[in-house]
Amino acid sequence: MLRREVLKNLALVGTTSLLTTVPFLGRANSGAVNHNAVNYKALFKKALRHNPELIGFANIESNFSETKLKLEGKLPSELKGQFYRNGPGKHERGDIRYQHLFEGDGMLQHFHLDGNNVYHRGKFIETPKFKKEESAKQFLYSGPDTKIANSLPVSSSNDVNTANTNVISVGNDLWALWEAGAPSKINPHNLQFEDQVNLGTGSKYGNSLKGLPFSAHPKIDPNGDIWNFGLNGSGHVVLYHLSAKGQTKNVKLINAQYKGTMLHDFLITDRSILLILPSLISERSHNSGYFESIDFAPQMPMRVLVVNKSDLTLKREFELPPGFAFHFGNAWEENDGTIHFDASLYPNINILHKMSRLMQGDVKQEEVNGNTTLFTLHNNGKTSQHSFNDISEFPRVSNHKVGLKNHKLYHLSSAHDSLWSDAVVSLDVDSGKEDKFSYGSEFLVEEHVPVNPRAKEGHGYLIGTALHIPTQRTCLNVFDLANLKAGPRCRAWLPYHLPLGFHGNFVTS
Amino acid sequence: MKFTLIKTSVATITATLLTLSATQVSAQNIQFEINGVNSDKGKLYVQLFKGKENYDAGKAESSLIIRAKPGTNTVTFNSVDTGEYAVRFFHDENNNGELEFNLFGMPVEGYGFSNDAQPNFGPAKYKHMKFDVTNTDETVINKSNVIY
Repeated sequence: MLRREVLKNLALVGTTSLLTTVPFLGRANSGAVNHNAVNYKALFKKALRHNPELIGFANIESNFSETKLKLEGKLPSELKGQFYRNGPGKHERGDIRYQHLFEGDGMLQHFHLDGNNVYHRGKFIETPKFKKEESAKQFLYSGPDTKIANSLPVSSSNDVNTANTNVISVGNDLWALWEAGAPSKINPHNLQFEDQVNLGTGSKYGNSLKGLPFSAHPKIDPNGDIWNFGLNGSGHVVLYHLSAKGQTKNVKLINAQYKGTMLHDFLITDRSILLILPSLISERSHNSGYFESIDFAPQMPMRVLVVNKSDLTLKREFELPPGFAFHFGNAWEENDGTIHFDASLYPNINILHKMSRLMQGDVKQEEVNGNTTLFTLHNNGKTSQHSFNDISEFPRVSNHKVGLKNHKLYHLSSAHDSLWSDAVVSLDVDSGKEDKFSYGSEFLVEEHVPVNPRAKEGHGYLIGTALHIPTQRTCLNVFDLANLKAGPRCRAWLPYHLPLGFHGNFVTS
Repeated sequence: MKFTLIKTSVATITATLLTLSATQVSAQNIQFEINGVNSDKGKLYVQLFKGKENYDAGKAESSLIIRAKPGTNTVTFNSVDTGEYAVRFFHDENNNGELEFNLFGMPVEGYGFSNDAQPNFGPAKYKHMKFDVTNTDETVINKSNVIY
């Protein structure tokens, strides 16, 4: 390597826009506190007194040591395994309360089902950020929306990785996921944080994948392979194909030209990857937060990029009517190339800003509901869609149906003006028939996941947590997958409540 | 004839020496201390820049390459003119002669800047890394920690 070239490379350290292209992060601030500072902590505390349903968003002080749950009904003896969930638990330190629900440090909840009993423990993920701030007893880094005075500089998104969104099982480890940075490797026996995963290790990619974003919604093929993506602020997307054990097989950059700055989920079929780019723009100025700046662009088509799984090259592109979705349930492809997929679709981005209002205790609901929408992408380039007259979020399909034609879609629902979900639904996507159980207004219901012990769709169990507002306790619920409206066949109670989280998975023993 | 030549030569030499001593006595050194090197793998590439224009253009005044050792590594730039300077460096851990980046253009090997200037949602700014070498200095000491 010539000396000249060495020096040229050094020059890149100055001229490369380090981190200006990372979308998720806050802005460097000079140390001045936000002049429009609103005391979120005081507002929330006051609002909690009048709106007890806000308990789900209260700060969690410490870890939960192992607790045996109190059972109502009987656990299915074949349902043995671990149910893991992840979500933000540390919303406050000192006088500061985070301004957006997505900012808090991740906390893992682990339910152990042994066929007779259920045990729970909960542990904050001790990321580098968490360790530093726990030691200092205050937030040291600004969040995507929350500015901290005299915040520590950030040279890499992993400096502020909260690992707070999802948790999956990879080989013998758990990976806690946060879409703007690397997965966090967790020891499943003691829930200890071990390391941030350097994805290229042991592969031809070497260190070139270190620090890249890895979304919180990887898709696992029925054969076990892991597919995922990561968004760069430039609008480029990195695509990953990993083995079931997390070894990197193939990685490519796609210039998606996506300016929405936030891309939460994607889909796979047996042959393709679908990057579904919602109609978002970012009006970010120096003083505004990351989530705060995201707007819905009502004239902008939602775009679908179809990528070949075999070589990660772009195959074709479709345009859909404007829309936004956090989550997609599933996609599948017919022999002739026709693609079907579903989304919990919104006509605006109000739901994102609701997650900020919640943090100050504002429970106002304003057109914040999404509904189940089925899309068809035809070979001739035309598209069609059908929206159900429902309210829908946190869609899931059975693991063995990922990327294949599914007949059932499981999702949460709510009454029109509910703060959070309060019902679970099994939707027959062919007939539109709903099998629904309403927990009622006393419960805040979290994502429920299907478990199919014999890999037969519609047969098995639906498992999920719900926070009982009046008694401030969380329960774990097990439903018969074929009969949700009969209610849970087993409910296991904790003596305390868990912070409302995002995503999780059941790992069979 | 000979005498005149010698006189002229001496005069010229004297004049030159006087000129040198008046404007360009390079008696200053910069001792740059890099802390927190995490291994003895590879080398440290250290560049000295004089002024913002040269820094922005990547035109180094001087470059030094040393074998990395764990902990503190010190390099010295000798006989440096007075003026404003900045240093940047990287730890070539895999010893391939280049600073490695990930696919999105972020360094994945250690690097750093004088005054321990920090990148913060963007590259470290020249104004945070610059320092002066003046006539009154003999050795200017500047320190930095490696950003891994």
